[in-house]
Amino acid sequence: MAGAETATYDLGFAKWVAGNISGADKLSMCMQCGMCSGSCPIGTQMDHGPRKLIMMIRAGMRDAVLSANTLWNCTQCYNCTVRCPRGIPVTEILQGLATVAVAEGHAGGEPTARFSEAFWWSLAKFGRTDERLVTSRFYFSAGLAEGVRKSRENLAIALRMIKARRMHLGAPHKIKRRKNLQAILAKAREIEARGAGEGD
Amino acid sequence: MAAQGARSETILVVGGGIAGITTAVEAAEAGAEVVLVERGPSLGGRVAQLSRYFPKLCHPTCGLEINYQRIRGNRRLRVITMATVAAVTGDRGAYTARIETRPRHVTARCTGCGDCARASQTRVPNPYNYDLDTVPAAHLAHPMAYPMRYVIADSVIGTPEADRIEAACRYGAVDLGEEPGAFDMVVGAVVWATGWRPYDAAKLQPYGYERHANVITNVEMERLAATTGPTLGQILRPSDAKPAKRVAMIQCAGSRDHNHLPYCSRICCLASLKHAAYLREAYADAEVDIYYIDIRAHDKLESFHARIKADPRVRFIKSKPASISENEAGDPVLHGEDTLTRDLYETAYDMVVLAIGMAPTAGDAMPEAALETDEYGFIVAAETLGGGMFSAGVAAGPLDVSLSVQSATAAALKAIQAVRGG
Amino acid sequence: MAEAAKTAVYLCAGCGIGEAVSIEALEAVATGESKASSCRRHDHLCDDAGVATIQADIDSGAAERIVIAACSERVNADRFRFDGTPPIRCDLRERVAWSQPPGAEDTQMLAADYVRMALAEAEKSAPPSGQADPGTSKTILVVGGGVSGLTAALESARAGYQVMLVERASDLGGHGAKWSKRMPHRPPYRLPQDNDIGALIAAVTAEPRITVHTRSRVVSTAGGPGRFLVTLDSGGTTIEETLGAIVVATGWRPYDATKLGHLGYGASPDVVTGVELETMLGAGELACKSDGRRPAAVAFIQCAGSRDPDHLPYCSSICCGVSIKQALMIRERVPDSSVYIIHDELRTPGTAEAFYRAAQAAGVIFMKGKVSAVGADLTVTVEDVLLGETVAMAGLDLVVLATGMMPNATAPEAEAIAPQPAPDIDPLAPILAAGATVPEPGSEDASEDDSGPEIGSILNLQYRQGPHLPILADGFADSHFLCFPYETRRSGIYTCGPVRRPMDMAESATDATGAALKAIQAIEAAAAGTALHPRGGDLSFPRINLDPCTKCRRCTVECPFGAIDESDDDYPVVEVARCRRCGTCMGACPVRTISFENYSVEMVSAMIKAVEVPDEFAEKPRVLVLACRNDAIPALDMAGISGTRYSPFARVVPVRCLGSVSALWISDALSTGYDGVILMGCKAGDDYQCHFVKGSAITQERMGKIAETLKSMMLEEERVVTHEVAIADARRAPELIDSFLDTIAEIGPNPFKGF
Repeated sequence: MAGAETATYDLGFAKWVAGNISGADKLSMCMQCGMCSGSCPIGTQMDHGPRKLIMMIRAGMRDAVLSANTLWNCTQCYNCTVRCPRGIPVTEILQGLATVAVAEGHAGGEPTARFSEAFWWSLAKFGRTDERLVTSRFYFSAGLAEGVRKSRENLAIALRMIKARRMHLGAPHKIKRRKNLQAILAKAREIEARGAGEGD
Repeated sequence: MAAQGARSETILVVGGGIAGITTAVEAAEAGAEVVLVERGPSLGGRVAQLSRYFPKLCHPTCGLEINYQRIRGNRRLRVITMATVAAVTGDRGAYTARIETRPRHVTARCTGCGDCARASQTRVPNPYNYDLDTVPAAHLAHPMAYPMRYVIADSVIGTPEADRIEAACRYGAVDLGEEPGAFDMVVGAVVWATGWRPYDAAKLQPYGYERHANVITNVEMERLAATTGPTLGQILRPSDAKPAKRVAMIQCAGSRDHNHLPYCSRICCLASLKHAAYLREAYADAEVDIYYIDIRAHDKLESFHARIKADPRVRFIKSKPASISENEAGDPVLHGEDTLTRDLYETAYDMVVLAIGMAPTAGDAMPEAALETDEYGFIVAAETLGGGMFSAGVAAGPLDVSLSVQSATAAALKAIQAVRGG
Repeated sequence: MAEAAKTAVYLCAGCGIGEAVSIEALEAVATGESKASSCRRHDHLCDDAGVATIQADIDSGAAERIVIAACSERVNADRFRFDGTPPIRCDLRERVAWSQPPGAEDTQMLAADYVRMALAEAEKSAPPSGQADPGTSKTILVVGGGVSGLTAALESARAGYQVMLVERASDLGGHGAKWSKRMPHRPPYRLPQDNDIGALIAAVTAEPRITVHTRSRVVSTAGGPGRFLVTLDSGGTTIEETLGAIVVATGWRPYDATKLGHLGYGASPDVVTGVELETMLGAGELACKSDGRRPAAVAFIQCAGSRDPDHLPYCSSICCGVSIKQALMIRERVPDSSVYIIHDELRTPGTAEAFYRAAQAAGVIFMKGKVSAVGADLTVTVEDVLLGETVAMAGLDLVVLATGMMPNATAPEAEAIAPQPAPDIDPLAPILAAGATVPEPGSEDASEDDSGPEIGSILNLQYRQGPHLPILADGFADSHFLCFPYETRRSGIYTCGPVRRPMDMAESATDATGAALKAIQAIEAAAAGTALHPRGGDLSFPRINLDPCTKCRRCTVECPFGAIDESDDDYPVVEVARCRRCGTCMGACPVRTISFENYSVEMVSAMIKAVEVPDEFAEKPRVLVLACRNDAIPALDMAGISGTRYSPFARVVPVRCLGSVSALWISDALSTGYDGVILMGCKAGDDYQCHFVKGSAITQERMGKIAETLKSMMLEEERVVTHEVAIADARRAPELIDSFLDTIAEIGPNPFKGF
């Protein structure tokens, strides 16, 4: 929370964000009208709305920004982006900040971050998401006891899903030619590593 | 086209709102010959549609009346209504202006007696009240119309209604066969005072202007507050004619927004402060919330801001509301973030007023003339046009009444210099 | 009066008048008892044939004065315009046919009375013959050589007028000459523009029609438009000149930053004002005053002194734009700098919004908050309202206070030694709210002398009402700042630029151009001997008959425009070109000293007495309505147009301004048997709507004396009422008349009836 860190208006962080996060070069255009925060359908679930997060970036509150749940609770509905009177790609910037938060270890406890990791694991491995594996990986990412508890809690739902053929118990579905997917992902990682720090 | 070498010292003023009237009358009182061309049936423009002015809360018709007196008393000034300037060619001192006229269907023989309106059985939308009500097909543009001459709606021409209207006129003033016309006029200078129109509120999709009956615009609020308006001056909300006592104003509805009007329309903050004053005057228990980004009560108008702010029943909420929904009672509900408390709100009101910005009309239908406009459609300030064409009032930029009058008075002098070869 | 003029009456039967009343009976009234020389009826008088009839009678000599008994004076003025023979309008349409039941006895009596009143008006008035010796100087005096003054001078000269430009300093240019760059006023409105004032100064200097007097002050100003007699002190030399009109463009001075200790001014050399920063920016390399380092972190504090009840109540308007300009210049010169603008409301109205966006795009940080302290180490403590925290900003190299503008409505050096002239209009008076008690109007003392201190005047007017241009409560020079922003209460003197409202260079240039036009108008009107706004073209003027004058000085004190001085032996002297023809002097006069050829105490008295007052047994009361021509009369017209019915017992007399109402008319009415009098004027007070500024307010003050008159006549005070009637009161004005008649019914008839 913000209380842990005070504002200094040291612009180092703001400049870094502007240079390294896609779309964040437009952050300076924010006039703090609050349209983004007000438009957010899950604004009540955020530590800070996007509007305040932008002010915190300007104020140099690096840790508070990167550990804010705002980055993880964004559902990417793009309401903020299309309504922003200054044309700031808010959704894109939040996503970029989330990536930084993961890389810098700020996202550890965030359920959305853990879910994203599970989701990505499945996708990268099989080329598809497997409901059973993604779910259990997500549950157990919070520890063994929590994994068992959550699995039990949701067993009834899982059974109904199986019955409705929305989940299956056999080997995970995979795409054909997974090698190609892996090659694509490897190339993407290589490009990402090359471009880091350039920020355009 | 003008005869070779034809020169003229006449100043043509395009647009009969406060800027055009001021340019025309100030130039004429300084000794110039002036022709004032107005698109509609009456002079007065947008200010004639305002209930009152900020910050004095006085009636625009009061100043208009003085200007009408000045026009009536000045032989150097000629007014042509129902006309537009389609094209201007030539140079300073010798322009040829193409004037196009629309039929009024009522001639100068009209005495203003109103028999035609009483005989009229068809009602047509009333643009004076922003179509909030209707008027008889034969009508005066508004009670303070100048000239005081009736007009017959085009839509009834060729119907039995038109014949009824013609038969009712005892003075032979109805001309149902009047056709659109056009003529050329040689003038020495042109002042464009073509004004503005309210930005289209329907484009502000999240605010649901078209979906919610009780979401209105600031210009409509003026008509509700005006004694000549559809509610005869009572501020009643449209859905059920209930007194609108809890009212929200949304600033920058369209202005300062790259999706709509990128510039600040300058007048909307003050207009909303004025609307708060209307409501406080009308209802002792009125409560007004003004949602804003910055309250732009520039220069001396700050005192008007301070006066309204001192009223405990007017709250200022620094927030651009995100959207408007409607509850079961038909109340509009505002959603957004209060940026000072950082709370998300969901607040119901009797009525919501969108502080719509000003869009230049010159941007809509540019005449054929060598005019320079900026990226928004405002005609670039007077002194920069090399020849004898100038702009005044909101045609030149988003200005309030006082600034429009200044700009118009200045344009009058520039035009005089142009026709006198100064 | 010489031999009675031949007065022709033209009765129009159109627009329902013929149905409402008997035209024949009116003809009998006109030619019979009222002695009109001729009377014609027409069914459509404003038509070409009707107008031609009138013109033919004028041409043949059959009609020397004409009474048009038809519609309101507000319509068909262009149709009924006859050179040399201004018509007397008698409204039988809006005020009779359209607001009374047709064929009724009372309707007929009303119309007959209006015909009688018009004929009385014709008998007791004459077409104005104009002034014998108008002032004809066509030179314009411009006081102040900054952007506003330079522009006013140049634009006047380019319209063909001679100009005398007076500047106190040794150089032209004023504040504007000190600016490194200026705010953008040309598309795309995004970047600071070069300061082009040098070109303006060069153009003025090169203009043969302009005479420049630097190191000069106006020592005295007498006379009026067309013949202002101005004395200059020009570097010790006295210059006297006769001038046609005056433009005051004395500009502004920065608010005294030493009063801003709470914002750190004085605590460190690196806390500077925006004006000081301009000098630093103009000096080439930007360097801190303390140690010459390049400032890498700069904070601007907006509203330093402005919008602050302890300092300046108004918004100085330009400071947001100026700080943005300076911030952009710093960002350009020191590319790695951090620049902050701490504001409350950020004000970049109109297209200046693009300038704000340009600053944001350049990385200037905008913070909304209130600065609570600026330390000697330049730590700025700000309550950051958007974060909800109090932030201590450390490591700043430069703090810039965006100080506001003070108008030079008096000479700057006068401030230290004398208070400002008496404030005039309180900008902070509360807004009217439903249910709240309304302060009594007219409580201000109209006889108050607002001349202010004897020193520090810009023009040193040699006027009875003092040396200053009236100054408003916020310190700015007088201006009717809405519909007619150039109008001041000193005729032929126009203010422009920041002396009348905070404004930037571009606005000042526009404003000055407008003021130049008004000055030209004043010159042309003075030469033609006609009135200025709002009665432009009016040739009448107050004529003074000293015989009855008691030297009471009411006229010289109450004239809203300072047009009347006192002679050495204390008699009133009207400077006609300064007069706006409102008639407030006439209303002020307890006797009949002052009159216009076409508007006098005697004329209106005759109109009042021309009405036939039925005896008390007829149960037909009579009420006199003295209504302001500018607002109340149009309101009553609108009532007629909308067919509103109201009492047929009221007799309406339009007056130029409520200020022109003479107490004698009220006593005449009551002694003639009228049962009461209603005065309808415009709103008085802080948000006055009177086009003659004070007429309505003065009348309300005079009402106290009228109440005494009523007492002395043993009459009830309720028989005379004053109402503020706005032009939009088309429904309320008739209601006021009707309810007054209810009051009269309660009080009972005037006991003077029949005497």
